[in-house]
Amino acid sequence: MSMTPSGDFRTSYAADMTIFPTRNSRLALLIGLAVLLCAPLVLGRYELSLMIQIGFLGIAALGLNILVGFTGQISIGHAAFFGFGAFASAWLVEHGVPVPLAIPLAGVATALVGLVFGLPAARLKGLYLAIATLAAQFILEDFFARARWFTGGVAGRITEPFTLLGLRFDHDETYFYVVVFWVVVMFVAAANLMRSRDGRALVAVRDHYLSAELMGINLAYYRTLSFGIASFYAGVGGALYAHYLLFVSVEAFNILFSIQFLAMVIIGGLGSVMGSLMGAAFMVLMPELVQSAAQALEGGAIDRALSLGASINFLREMAIGAAIILFLIFEPDGLARRWRLMKAYWKLYPYSH
Amino acid sequence: MRTTILAGAAALLMTAPAFAQAPYPIGHIADYSGATSDVGVPYGRGVQDALAWVNANRRIGGRTMNVMTMDYGYQAQRAIAQYQAWMSRERPVAIQGWGTADTEALTTFVTRDRVPYISGSYSAALTDPTGRAPRAEKAAPFNFFYGPSYSDSLRAMLIWAQQDWRARGQTGRPRYVHMGANHPYPNSPKAAGEALATELGFDVIPAIQFALTPGDYTAQCLTLKNQGANYAYLGNTAGSNISVLRACQTVGVQVQFLGNVWGMDENAMKAAGAAANGVVFPVRTSAVWGQDAPGMANIRAISRISDQAGTAYRPVHYLAGVCAAMLMVEAMETAAERGQVNGVSIRDGFYTRQNWVPNGFDGVCAPSNFTAEDHRGTLSVALYRAVVNGDTTQGSVDDLMRAGTMRLEPVTTINLDRRRDWLGW
Repeated sequence: MSMTPSGDFRTSYAADMTIFPTRNSRLALLIGLAVLLCAPLVLGRYELSLMIQIGFLGIAALGLNILVGFTGQISIGHAAFFGFGAFASAWLVEHGVPVPLAIPLAGVATALVGLVFGLPAARLKGLYLAIATLAAQFILEDFFARARWFTGGVAGRITEPFTLLGLRFDHDETYFYVVVFWVVVMFVAAANLMRSRDGRALVAVRDHYLSAELMGINLAYYRTLSFGIASFYAGVGGALYAHYLLFVSVEAFNILFSIQFLAMVIIGGLGSVMGSLMGAAFMVLMPELVQSAAQALEGGAIDRALSLGASINFLREMAIGAAIILFLIFEPDGLARRWRLMKAYWKLYPYSH
Repeated sequence: MRTTILAGAAALLMTAPAFAQAPYPIGHIADYSGATSDVGVPYGRGVQDALAWVNANRRIGGRTMNVMTMDYGYQAQRAIAQYQAWMSRERPVAIQGWGTADTEALTTFVTRDRVPYISGSYSAALTDPTGRAPRAEKAAPFNFFYGPSYSDSLRAMLIWAQQDWRARGQTGRPRYVHMGANHPYPNSPKAAGEALATELGFDVIPAIQFALTPGDYTAQCLTLKNQGANYAYLGNTAGSNISVLRACQTVGVQVQFLGNVWGMDENAMKAAGAAANGVVFPVRTSAVWGQDAPGMANIRAISRISDQAGTAYRPVHYLAGVCAAMLMVEAMETAAERGQVNGVSIRDGFYTRQNWVPNGFDGVCAPSNFTAEDHRGTLSVALYRAVVNGDTTQGSVDDLMRAGTMRLEPVTTINLDRRRDWLGW
């Protein structure tokens, strides 16, 4: 348990800013990480594949959370940046760049593209910005379909598995470690970013742009920067996706996928680093749960009445929509807040007041 | 301790026969909810029913098949994710697939993993097992399909179109146009078709795009009219082709439409009504539902798997699905007779017969020939014309076909030469 004395006894800024306040919470983190690294020894490939998906989607969702949750901007073109990262990495590998290097380079390339498409953010707010990012989604999608040299056109592009020092990470058991590495790096980086001067500037822009400007924060700079950071995360997530699936196709990065990223951020918790991962986990696991529920009901009266088997794809998408509505009504702060409440409940039990 | 070991050994011995009898895992990737589900549902149903019928009636080397059907919604990346999940867990010995984008992307993987992949895509890029043909981009040694390739179908229709143009006493150069979505499936025969059209003396006009989903395609029809096209190839599936046919009827376009093998069927004829009248398209089976042939009894038995009342009308794609599934089953049986059933032996099972018609499906499934050098199963393309001469809004497809309001009229059969320079594109 991470017991902290009741009252505020911190005497330095460093103590105030620390992510893990007690020795026990740091220990818990290390133990948790060690347990996670043992997962491939225990879990089956199906469970691992779900965790890998949660990993790369979580990284991309974290990028969107920096943009939407921390800076207060909006983007409904995140899937296009995710796709750009995937194609960029595949393209780099095709041109002789080793995969471990191609992944961060794809992130940088995507960040540059994100900066270009983030330029309208310097001028636009709210709905207008939403429509500008929607344009980014369609422009990039069309680019993917036509730029044969870069994406392989509508037929897509096949790419190589992750190899490092002669080791091939082409199975769920091995690729899991690649994803865990990137998840840790990207999440620690985001948590630290939010403690820095730039991170606080982003939050100030979100909370009240006029006050932020009066304090000397360059609005245009930080809004555009936020797009760049968000795109970098999307690009790395996309690159990890590309070298997991080993095939990238333009069809995957449609507007629906962009909405799913927004849903992850909303369900996970706007303005929460860990919430992004929780949101991604929710979005990956829920369709699987719907599927198992449909399988459990197979042959029964409900199945016959609704013909679940035939309409499982539609059911999954409906379930995602329903989850977004329910979260907006009952838990607008997302899973991250629910998690905090649960922790508080255990810490304070039985004296919750 | 000793008793535990003994008990363990006994348990192992008892389960050993069960292991030997474990069913063969078979993957089935189908589109039941995506852009091509209009034709994906009857084809996939045909595959599923045929395999269930085989499981109910016979054994392959003493075993059944465990058919794992997955609806991928015509999203290539979902098919690939499913393929990789299968390969890391169930390891299917063969896979029944569907679309062009996913099948072409999976070619690399099935070649590496040596899994025969019987697709619903008839892309010519899947026909060269060696990759040595002059225009082939890569080898596809484990890809098979039942029927003529998209390119060969289009070549046959163009040869017919040239004959038709002369037979109608027309002079001058006929104009040909390719229509379809910007997607690997409609794009697949584009180059081959335009090349042959030029060779045959057509004026090839720039391709016209329309999406794989139904919509308003009046603009496309106006382009068609303004450019004065005489023969137009519809590269999409039936659902969106209906929209084009209806829009072109409204605009008053006088053009002979040539449908892709997935571009027309009985359901589409009912939906398009008079607009579908006159569309020429290839039919892969020697008989269609409602006709009599020696193999039809088995087809009807298969149909009853998912329609116990026996009243459903099965469009052409259902029959093609049955034939594709039965080719795989017989290849597996050949493999079982020779010993082990695995990817390589099933592939070799495809090469053992000449003019191969699955046993019990005479007069329905057309003969196929596969060799280690050439996976073009057939070069004989039977062209049919959709004839609609009345109101199709009332009554079921079955009623309309019986009453003759709609019918499939044989036009001709074009036998293409097995040209090596046509292999693989």
